[in-house]
Amino acid sequence: MKAVDLNCLVGHWPFRKLHKNTLEDIQNVHRANNIDGGYVASLNSIFYNDPFEGDEELHEILKDADGYHHVLTINPKLLEFEEDIKEGIERFGIKGVRIYPGYHGYSLDDKDLAELCRILKENDLPLFLPLRMEDPRLNYIITPGTIAMDEVKGFLKSFPDNKIILLTAFVSELKQLEDEIKDHSYVKFDTSGLKDTLFSIENLTAVFPAEKIVYGSLYPLYTFRSTYFLIKHAEVSEKVKAKILSCSW
Amino acid sequence: MLIDIHTHIWGPPGSPPCSSETIESSKKDLIKAGEKYKIDRIYVSGLYSHYPDEEEIAGLNWEVAKFIKEEPKLIGGFCYVNPAHSNAMDVLKKGIEEQNMEGMKLWVATFCDDERVFPLVEQCILYNIPILIHAFHKAVGQLEHESLAPNVANLARRYPEAKLIIAHLGGNAYYGIKPIRNCPNVWVDFSGSLFRRDDIDYTKKLIGADRIVFGTDMPGASFYNNLGQVEDGDLTEEEKEKIYYKNALRLLDRRERIL
Repeated sequence: MKAVDLNCLVGHWPFRKLHKNTLEDIQNVHRANNIDGGYVASLNSIFYNDPFEGDEELHEILKDADGYHHVLTINPKLLEFEEDIKEGIERFGIKGVRIYPGYHGYSLDDKDLAELCRILKENDLPLFLPLRMEDPRLNYIITPGTIAMDEVKGFLKSFPDNKIILLTAFVSELKQLEDEIKDHSYVKFDTSGLKDTLFSIENLTAVFPAEKIVYGSLYPLYTFRSTYFLIKHAEVSEKVKAKILSCSW
Repeated sequence: MLIDIHTHIWGPPGSPPCSSETIESSKKDLIKAGEKYKIDRIYVSGLYSHYPDEEEIAGLNWEVAKFIKEEPKLIGGFCYVNPAHSNAMDVLKKGIEEQNMEGMKLWVATFCDDERVFPLVEQCILYNIPILIHAFHKAVGQLEHESLAPNVANLARRYPEAKLIIAHLGGNAYYGIKPIRNCPNVWVDFSGSLFRRDDIDYTKKLIGADRIVFGTDMPGASFYNNLGQVEDGDLTEEEKEKIYYKNALRLLDRRERIL
């Protein structure tokens, strides 16, 4: 079973200098910690007028990188986004689509997002849904919209057949979403938001099946080892750790 | 060796001889964390209300003193003081002279450069003990009397012989480090729930590794938030050792004066 990081990015973050923001940086920290690959998205795409231009850059970066998969950034409020997905599948071999409702200004009950979910279901592609990129206390210059847990609950209920990965959710939020996550056959959540309590993996695996949890670092915005050590040193079985570190549907 | 300069027992204090249930829970978590993460020494202060009354302060410091007695090898204490109280000096003296605490803790009841803090700082200079100051710049949710890095810098310049620790990198390193970088009597801890990849490297670039101390804010934060910051940082082994314990040992050593 290969260990993967479901939440890593390359590119620039407009609000502060990132010193380890290349694919090589990601690969270095992964290799040092026995991670075999990752699902990579473009930070640049979040802020470009046309996100696809960032994904063209990302494709050039990833095209020869074994074990590293392209996650396409889509803003469903932009016209013709379905063409971008089609091209992403054909040219880049994308393995998922990532959205940023907080930065792109729409809610989870938006009709264009519903159309995006229909297309993803049709193509069996997972939706990567970051609940945040920075701690809201640290937002600088712009304040992205927040995603309320009631919105997430409604979204999960509305799309029971879509593969969805919730990124950077806090432990307290996962507790609020417990029923919806358990009831949804295809939803998972990553580890990058597990920061506010001690022994979070031990506690979460007592509530959720290990298959619901995937390893995601949000590197290089966040440190890699802060969340990787949560799993590596957790007092859970090696089988449970392996399930978290590999992602299978 | 590993020293955690910044942890808490949280909740309403109990009544002697029994700790409250929530504080017992914090204590259990800290002891378990000490064992699991091989922490040699954990420094604790008790916190609950933003504006605690005298009774609450006395109760929280009693809880910390009790914890020190129960776990003398692992646990050290910072005496929590509300400078707005008329008995604040007595609280500090009791904490240091009778309850075996090793520093003073200021939280959010007053700004740290409020004039009511000055006599307390002067007493800490006499004791030659560090003062752990909560400071947090927030884009949302700033508290009315929550100190910021400029408040800490004001205090540091007024009392260059005081040993100050600004907690949480001032909340946001990009706001918190520049104001104190020319204050050699201010150390920083990076405790708490933030673990941005570049914060420690940025802090080291501005103030060097000699003034960074390891803290976690447990049990309200994951230990690995902060361990990961050091292990991911561009730091030499010598710099890591300084951050993990050597800087804290120097700061806590009452025999060594900085001026």
